[in-house]
Amino acid sequence: MPGKRQGRGLPAWLTGDAGALAYRLIFILVLCVILGLTHESFASSANLLNLLRQASLVFLLASGLTLVIIAGGIDLSVAANLTLSACLAAGVMKGTGSVTLGVLTALGCGGFAGLLNGLAVTRLKLPPFLATYGSLWILQGLAFRYMGGQEIFGFPAAFRALGTGFWWGVPVPVYLMALIAFLLAVLMRKTVFGHHLYAIGANPEAARLSGVPVLSRRLAVYALSGAMAGVAALVYLARVNSADAGLGEALLLPTIAAVLIGGTSLFGGSGGVLGTLAGAVILAITINAMNLFNVKATWQPLVIGCVVILAVLVDLIGNGRRERIG
Amino acid sequence: MKGFSAACCQKMGMALAAMLVATGAQAAGETLAAFYKNQVDPHFGLVRGGVDAAAKSMGATVTHYTPTRPNNLAEQLAQIEDVTTRKPSGILFMAVDPRGVVPAIEKVNAAGIPIVNYNDKVAGGKYVTFVGFDDYKLGLDTGRYLLKAIGGQGNVVIIEGVKGSLTSDERVRGFRKALEEFPNVKLLASQPANFQRLPALQVMENLIQANPKIDGVLAAADAMALGARDALEAANRGATKVIGINGVPEAIEAVKAGRLLATGEFDGYKIGCVATMASLRGLRGQSVPASMIFSGVVIDKGNLAPWDVPLDKRQCPKWEDVAK
Repeated sequence: MPGKRQGRGLPAWLTGDAGALAYRLIFILVLCVILGLTHESFASSANLLNLLRQASLVFLLASGLTLVIIAGGIDLSVAANLTLSACLAAGVMKGTGSVTLGVLTALGCGGFAGLLNGLAVTRLKLPPFLATYGSLWILQGLAFRYMGGQEIFGFPAAFRALGTGFWWGVPVPVYLMALIAFLLAVLMRKTVFGHHLYAIGANPEAARLSGVPVLSRRLAVYALSGAMAGVAALVYLARVNSADAGLGEALLLPTIAAVLIGGTSLFGGSGGVLGTLAGAVILAITINAMNLFNVKATWQPLVIGCVVILAVLVDLIGNGRRERIG
Repeated sequence: MKGFSAACCQKMGMALAAMLVATGAQAAGETLAAFYKNQVDPHFGLVRGGVDAAAKSMGATVTHYTPTRPNNLAEQLAQIEDVTTRKPSGILFMAVDPRGVVPAIEKVNAAGIPIVNYNDKVAGGKYVTFVGFDDYKLGLDTGRYLLKAIGGQGNVVIIEGVKGSLTSDERVRGFRKALEEFPNVKLLASQPANFQRLPALQVMENLIQANPKIDGVLAAADAMALGARDALEAANRGATKVIGINGVPEAIEAVKAGRLLATGEFDGYKIGCVATMASLRGLRGQSVPASMIFSGVVIDKGNLAPWDVPLDKRQCPKWEDVAK
């Protein structure tokens, strides 16, 4: 059964994973109210949509990762996977002029790299931390070789609409974020596959004894994480309109942060994609607010650190101190 | 020798003599070790191109050292140690962290290998010379250029690089000095974007939310200028003028297309060429000035031809032109 937590005689909707999500949403609401009252532009619809668009890239990358972590694993290679997928897709799009081929390249590279991670974990029995740390280096190295110190820039306008376009006033990446969040949330809560992932994360041996196909589920979830990196790569290219071998480097930590701020435990077995969405939004709000308030560069890392800790603290206090750290 | 004709011996003798003469011309044959910060920024690709070109024309060989994780100090320290044991004839060095590398550099000094500091200054150690551009002046000149272009009136924002990086701090200092000369221009905000394109894009998007009227953007590097420009175009604020600093190929394209107003010449190719020439001249006992700091020009639509040249066609400047 997905994630059990200590309640303290609180109403049902405030305990468990739903409770964790509720606390984060309340935290976001409080943040938005405070910021909206203190800065005239924060609460405008334009800024809020802008903010959601910025959260979408981290969310897409973190969404697959969330599933991997729930299933008891970890994938440190997601950002390097995004880098390689984006670079290859950029090269293919520029070289062939075909957007379709570029999209297939990104998804293919992402999914394939994810599959290799899965095989390393399930067949070679490597600990996920080591296996994905190793693939991080390999994927990044391949990106360096492929790009050769150069940049690739300028993609077709039709493709760029994925990152820069608006439908009925809402940025396209926000729709994608909502769609993926919905699909993955349904996958995790309403399908057997999802329940299996929670079970494997909570207690792999018990899951195996209950007939859960642990190895094939693990393989699938790493492949999914890789495919999501491919999706994020496409959004990146569409937004930034350029690729270089270092593009994903800075994304790994915010991605993991979004998952953890969102309440998914590193030990597996609890948490969810909606929490990761909240985590990505909290990170985006923080940077947006710092830009709006013109917070000095030297203060910014401090502010980010404080917000991260605060967001998690709210949940810990609300749910009572948990024995596990995560 | 039996069986060998006189003519054959003559030919062999000539061949041997030719070989000796040939190696004599190449006798210098120094080995250089060149350090870079990362393999990601096209700027360092230009530096490397310059180093290779100059070394080839002067008969030296070069080994290039770049951290695999961009700007990673631990890797660079390991590479410095590696170089100290291999003992090349000379070193061309730029630091990923100007203070963090100093103890390692002092060991290299102690080992007696001459070093040329290029690209940006290291906070310690002894060097044959420094070869680079004046970041402060680049900031000042490009800043002035933009402020004049907006008629000395209006609102501007600054997009900084990495706080604490000498390059960023000096360029921003230049921007701020230029602003002092135009009292009718208001500085709305100064925000960091880590020299990267996506952060600059997002910072600019956020600044656009807060400020309905932005007339100019002073970005401390081309990557950030291009990111900011993308954000402005997406928000239909194409009238805002943007300047960057570096002069990398994509920026030159953007200046040609009118998307960037101008960029500052921080010419990596020139830095690579001149540093290599300085290093080899020092090793060959020829004179080298103690410091070679170039003031870059402001590259705009009118004068961009010399930088609009692909890497394989570029040429090193002559020593007489650059040494004063």
